[in-house]
Amino acid sequence: MRTIKDALENKINGLYYGNRVLLPFPCYILKIVIEDDILMDFSPSSKSLYIRSTDSFTEIYFKEFKNLKENITKYEAIKLVAVEKDEDIFQMDNHIKLALRLEDNHKLIIEKTDEDILFLE
Amino acid sequence: MAKRSDLLKRNNSKKIYLLTGILLLFFLNTVLSSAEVKNNLNADTLNVASISKTQLQQPPIYLIAPFVILLLAIATGPLFYKHHWEKHYGKYSILLAVIVAGYYVFVLNEFSGLQKTITEYISFIALMTSLFVVASGILINVDRKATPIVNTIFLLIGAVLANFIGTTGASVLLIKPFIKLNKDRIATYHIIFFIFIVSNVGGALTPLGDPPLFLGFLSGVPFFWVVQHMWYMWILALILILIPFYFFDLLNKKSSDKKQYSGKIEIKGHKNMIFLLVIILAVFIDPSVFHWVPDFSPLPFGVREIIMFAVVYFAYKGSDQKILKANEFNFEPIKEVAFLFLGIFITMLPALELVAIEAKTLGNKLNADVFYWATGALSSVLDNTPTYINFLSAAMGKYYLDVAIKAHVQHFISVDIIYLEAISISAVLFGAMTYIGNGPNFMVKSISERAGITMPSFFAYIFKYSLLVLLPAYTIIWLLFFYGRS
Repeated sequence: MRTIKDALENKINGLYYGNRVLLPFPCYILKIVIEDDILMDFSPSSKSLYIRSTDSFTEIYFKEFKNLKENITKYEAIKLVAVEKDEDIFQMDNHIKLALRLEDNHKLIIEKTDEDILFLE
Repeated sequence: MAKRSDLLKRNNSKKIYLLTGILLLFFLNTVLSSAEVKNNLNADTLNVASISKTQLQQPPIYLIAPFVILLLAIATGPLFYKHHWEKHYGKYSILLAVIVAGYYVFVLNEFSGLQKTITEYISFIALMTSLFVVASGILINVDRKATPIVNTIFLLIGAVLANFIGTTGASVLLIKPFIKLNKDRIATYHIIFFIFIVSNVGGALTPLGDPPLFLGFLSGVPFFWVVQHMWYMWILALILILIPFYFFDLLNKKSSDKKQYSGKIEIKGHKNMIFLLVIILAVFIDPSVFHWVPDFSPLPFGVREIIMFAVVYFAYKGSDQKILKANEFNFEPIKEVAFLFLGIFITMLPALELVAIEAKTLGNKLNADVFYWATGALSSVLDNTPTYINFLSAAMGKYYLDVAIKAHVQHFISVDIIYLEAISISAVLFGAMTYIGNGPNFMVKSISERAGITMPSFFAYIFKYSLLVLLPAYTIIWLLFFYGRS
């Protein structure tokens, strides 16, 4: 099972198709920011998104978008707070802030938010 | 394959859509210029050139409907039908503008107002775009411990800076450093007071500060008139808002885990500072200020606008990609301003003329108190730029003067300054009352939300903050400077 840490260290990219984002690791997601929408309702009835996590990847459907590439420019990022699948989500130290950038050919760059990318939990 | 062609089609339709807007502007201006020349010749022949055309061609009252519809849509769109509005606002704005422009050209046969409006619009957009793009290429980091006094000084510096790079530029430039400075103790009130001070009140001293004042400058109000007549109100407003902020912040007991601070203020993107200076200097490059500046009339732009658009190009191309990424740069905010203000500038023409005519009949009933509170009330819920120009038109109407004529504006200032003082300060201050009162308010809200900060709703902003902090402050300013003075 690949971890978030592995993906970041080895610069493993994710994928995106239309409004679907695929992260190359299983994880718990606590908060997502896309454009100026802060998404925290991950219940099955959520109108904004649907999340599914398998043993090898996590997929997110952004229901309010038809095609993410049309809305998210090359300078923007989808930001999220994630926790490794086998770690304690109640330990704040386990919370990892990620920025997802959309590139050509469905490539999704995954990076840890640095000092310059502003993202508060 | 099908997806790619769909995307190409969509991109092409966006380009066509943008191109249509630009072509519409140039077509209108060319037609209007040639028609204007003919009209002037006729007027000379009849020896009635001195009579303002607005007095001859009065627009019907129902022609203000597109303006009202557009303002209501701007106010309600982002709140109640956000996704539809985000997708179609440009179409609505252009459609409403075309209705009004068509009526002026084909029914009223009136051209001068439209031509002047298009020229002013291009100046306005050149300034807004250049400040926005240049500020987006600068990144500031402040490595200091956030304390109430540091935060208060930070907001005060933002207020001063807003007068040089506009409330939009200062907001884009400073909101992120302000959030970072307070990242372990950030609370909603930090962002709200930032909107009050940096995005609004701060910019009351120069035409560069806030769009209504820039429009006043384009209409003929001298550049330094604002600072000469409003500095004391500006200082009082800042004191009245910063004191409650200081005490709010004093109650915030959260502190940072970080123990060591270098105290450094790091600025990345230095070359954009030079571009900022170029923009500020370019504001003065106008044939009416310096005689050596070529006048490209009847083209709807001059040397100033060419410089500003060149700055946009070079600043964007030359900006550090990392800084643009850190600032999450996007042309969308400025595209929105460009489309909506095209609609506002053109659809407000009949409203301006009718307000001026109405003011003549109301005469002395319109005093400084009325102008202060009416401008304020409308600036709170509508954009403050059209509100400013509408009420300036009304105030000038009392003296049978026309806001569309620069010499009339300058004469108006020499007759009685209290009305212009009331309208100018009120338009700037009250822009902070709601999210929709001034362009940067929504921009700051959006940047904060992108940073993960939950912002109050439209009404919570008003009832929890504006009415409690701003209204008492603005009432004190009215009592001290306007009550009973006219």
